[in-house]
Amino acid sequence: MKKGQQGQQGHQGLQGRQGHQRYRRGWGFFVPAVSEVPVVLIVLLAAAVLVTACGGNTGPAPKVVNIYIWTNYLPQEVVNEFERRTGIHANVDTYDSNEAVLAKLQSGVADYDVAVPSDYMLKILIPQGLVRPLDHGRLPHLKNLDPRFLNQQYDPGNGHSVPYLWGTTGIGYDKTKVQAPVAPVDSWAALFDPRHAGRILMLDDQREVFGAALRLMGRSINEKDPAILRRAAEMLKKQKPLVRTFNSSDFANLLAAGDVDLSQGYNGELAEAVARSAGRLAYVIPKEGGTLWIDNLAIPKGARNVDAAYAFLDFVMQPEIAAKIVNHVHYACANQAALPLIDGKIKNDPSIYPPQEVLNRCELIEDLGETTQLVDRLWTEVKAQ
Amino acid sequence: MTGRGPRRLLAAHTALVYLFLYAPIAILVVFSFNAARQTAFWQGFTLDWYRRLLDDGLLLRAVRNSLEVAGITTAAAVVLGTPAALALARPAFRGKGATQALLYLPVIIPEVVLGAALVTFFGAVELRLSLATVVIAHVVFSVSYVALVVRARLAGLDPALEEAARDLGAGPFETFRRVTLPLALPGIVASALLVFTLSIDDYVITSFVAGVGATTLPLHIYSMLKVGVTPEVNAVSTLLLAVTIVLIVAAHRLLQKEL
Amino acid sequence: MPSSSKASRTVPLLLPTWLVLGVFFLVPLILMLGISFAERGIYGGLRSIPNLGEYLRSGAFLANYARSLDGIFLKIGWRSLWMAVATTILCIVVSFPIAYYLALLAPRRWKGLLLGLVVVPFWTSFLIRTYAWMFILRSEGLLNLVLVGSGLLRHPLELLYTQTAVMIGLVYGELPFMILPLFASLEKLDRSLLEAASDLGAGRVQTFRRVTLPLTLPGLAAGIVLVFIPSLGQFVVSDLLGGARSMLLGNLIQNQFAVARNQPFGAALAFELTTAVLLLLLGYAALARRRGGEDPL
Repeated sequence: MKKGQQGQQGHQGLQGRQGHQRYRRGWGFFVPAVSEVPVVLIVLLAAAVLVTACGGNTGPAPKVVNIYIWTNYLPQEVVNEFERRTGIHANVDTYDSNEAVLAKLQSGVADYDVAVPSDYMLKILIPQGLVRPLDHGRLPHLKNLDPRFLNQQYDPGNGHSVPYLWGTTGIGYDKTKVQAPVAPVDSWAALFDPRHAGRILMLDDQREVFGAALRLMGRSINEKDPAILRRAAEMLKKQKPLVRTFNSSDFANLLAAGDVDLSQGYNGELAEAVARSAGRLAYVIPKEGGTLWIDNLAIPKGARNVDAAYAFLDFVMQPEIAAKIVNHVHYACANQAALPLIDGKIKNDPSIYPPQEVLNRCELIEDLGETTQLVDRLWTEVKAQ
Repeated sequence: MTGRGPRRLLAAHTALVYLFLYAPIAILVVFSFNAARQTAFWQGFTLDWYRRLLDDGLLLRAVRNSLEVAGITTAAAVVLGTPAALALARPAFRGKGATQALLYLPVIIPEVVLGAALVTFFGAVELRLSLATVVIAHVVFSVSYVALVVRARLAGLDPALEEAARDLGAGPFETFRRVTLPLALPGIVASALLVFTLSIDDYVITSFVAGVGATTLPLHIYSMLKVGVTPEVNAVSTLLLAVTIVLIVAAHRLLQKEL
Repeated sequence: MPSSSKASRTVPLLLPTWLVLGVFFLVPLILMLGISFAERGIYGGLRSIPNLGEYLRSGAFLANYARSLDGIFLKIGWRSLWMAVATTILCIVVSFPIAYYLALLAPRRWKGLLLGLVVVPFWTSFLIRTYAWMFILRSEGLLNLVLVGSGLLRHPLELLYTQTAVMIGLVYGELPFMILPLFASLEKLDRSLLEAASDLGAGRVQTFRRVTLPLTLPGLAAGIVLVFIPSLGQFVVSDLLGGARSMLLGNLIQNQFAVARNQPFGAALAFELTTAVLLLLLGYAALARRRGGEDPL
């Protein structure tokens, strides 16, 4: 909206003649043109400044924690309860890709106290020293966590992170629109099928989108061979005209609202949409396999409120809080003590807590090392196509 | 002059443009009272979405942040930009052209470029992003606006006025206070009002330089939009529209009384 | 008067502005120009250059600019350009008649109200006005409900996340910035000139072409600058209404900084965009001056 002003100076050439006082007197003031003395407006402005000045803090700075987390991942209710119980004020900002977290933390000027990177991103953040080592002594509720999610290859001994929520990436689709012979959808091929042109949503996430293509090629999501990655990129460029939108925040709503018929997406939000759809929608992990991901709480290097960050980490590991989060966001948590408190409907939903044989088909995304650069580049090309 | 037929045609076109301008806004407002969550089907009147906004601490904080940033930005831009305008209103001096070019640049450079340059700079000097960096970024584009607008106002003035004041024995300070300032005031006020609005509404530059806990209202609304079309967004929008319209009408009324 | 005494009077007035714009505007721009010649690291950030001489000799410092000339990116530049041109033209076509009507034909009684109605959108949030179209154009949005509900269409139209949606959003967002400058210059138009022209036997078309149009050129120039530049660097509208699909230059640049972590490439693109805007403006200003109009800046 800078241009309001450009109007202003663009206009000065129009100011020469005095014959148009008429309109200046009325609404003309708001037309970008220099106007007569509205002293009152100074008062208005001064009032606004005053209000903000008085709104400032008078007492000692209150305790705060700055949280950087995925969209739809932390219910307002839980934030409110955290503030009530600890007296710490929580600022929550959201992101929708791991790469955004890396960019933010790398910039070195964003001092978040808590971030929630996924598995492979931790593998990148830890060696670069972008997250702090954790003192387990300050996390008494760590004992509630399921050992199956602890001590993973990306963070041995959980020295830098604790698991928060986990889930899978698959396809959500509208059973009434995706007709036979494609239905029921059971392969990533459905997202590349010209019959669904314009009705497909892909996540706005490079590793997941490349993952779908690589899986379909019979490769691992962690393929590092440049030639194969380039072939995957070609495939995605061909798919591009079929894709309605790339979206990692709103995919479930767009599917539910009928803007798309097929959506690559994370299980929790899709499961919630499926549950609400009265049988119209479904979620599937394709036969070629999907992604298993574990999102972890970590304290970035630049954190300024480390005590508050520990307080938050420990707070969300309490069984009743963890259960409350799961009941709201429909993603599974790594907290075994919370299990009895989780809604039966969620606990028994196979798309949220998948059976072991489905999990066996899923793969964790891994850091690609030097190949990261190539994937970043190819992704830019796919998006630019 | 324009005949009857063309005149009707123009009137009809004007009516259509108004429809184009206002129908979307009207729809937005109407549906902020709709009980339905997902669809645009009308399912009864409700004020629920507004009630929820009041409970949204983040939103209220964003509003406060925005007011704070816009207030400080406006004050700083006026204090910095007005003297520059006074200097520029004087006859040619060395560096005048360069100064003018320097003032135009922030205005014509695409916002995305300014945002990217600033975040790179803050990173290089290790200045942590915060509300302060947002204010700095806003001041950078606002100073130019104030300087250029006030100068435009002064350009139309008769330099003889200042000279007359001096001839009558007024010192430089008195000349400024009693002659120059009152003459420049309309320009200052107009630019302040515009700068305030621009600052409070800026998304692009702010999205680059906003630090932790420095979420302004446009940033908050944008993140709401990314997560989906919900009636809460309609409600926020309606409130913002109402505030804007009230302010414009109030200013307009006061202005008419003044004159 | 000796210029030194003048300078001594202007320096203290200009110093604060020079300082602020120097430190927070020129230095960042120069820094970014420098970075546009650098190389990114594996995960982002900048790669350190062990041998600067070798780096310069090998021409590697131009890699980002070379990459930006890749077909894919040229296409984005071209798309951004024609979208901005189309937006500007559409805005002119829609705005001129309404500005003309408001300035010269509207009944006096209504004029204030009508002008006020253009002013309000001018001052309201761009983001909200874009959102209004998201709300309308969705598959289950109002437009489709009406079209399908009334039986006009069997299936909802796919409007959101299309080039059309981006175009509508851009025109809608920029329209007041064209109407107001045009209005301001038409308002100034001396009616007696028009009457004189018709008294001298000029037809309607001739009057318009030889009197009205030349006299409104300054307003038109201002409007074009106001609409064209923001449209060229746009990324919000194409993000929200284009669904992150039809990328424009603005999106590409923003993406390099926020997600792709390739600051050097982003910086190079930003510089190319800035240069293009400046060249276009300078060319435009020269043209306007030659045609005897006022300097649009």
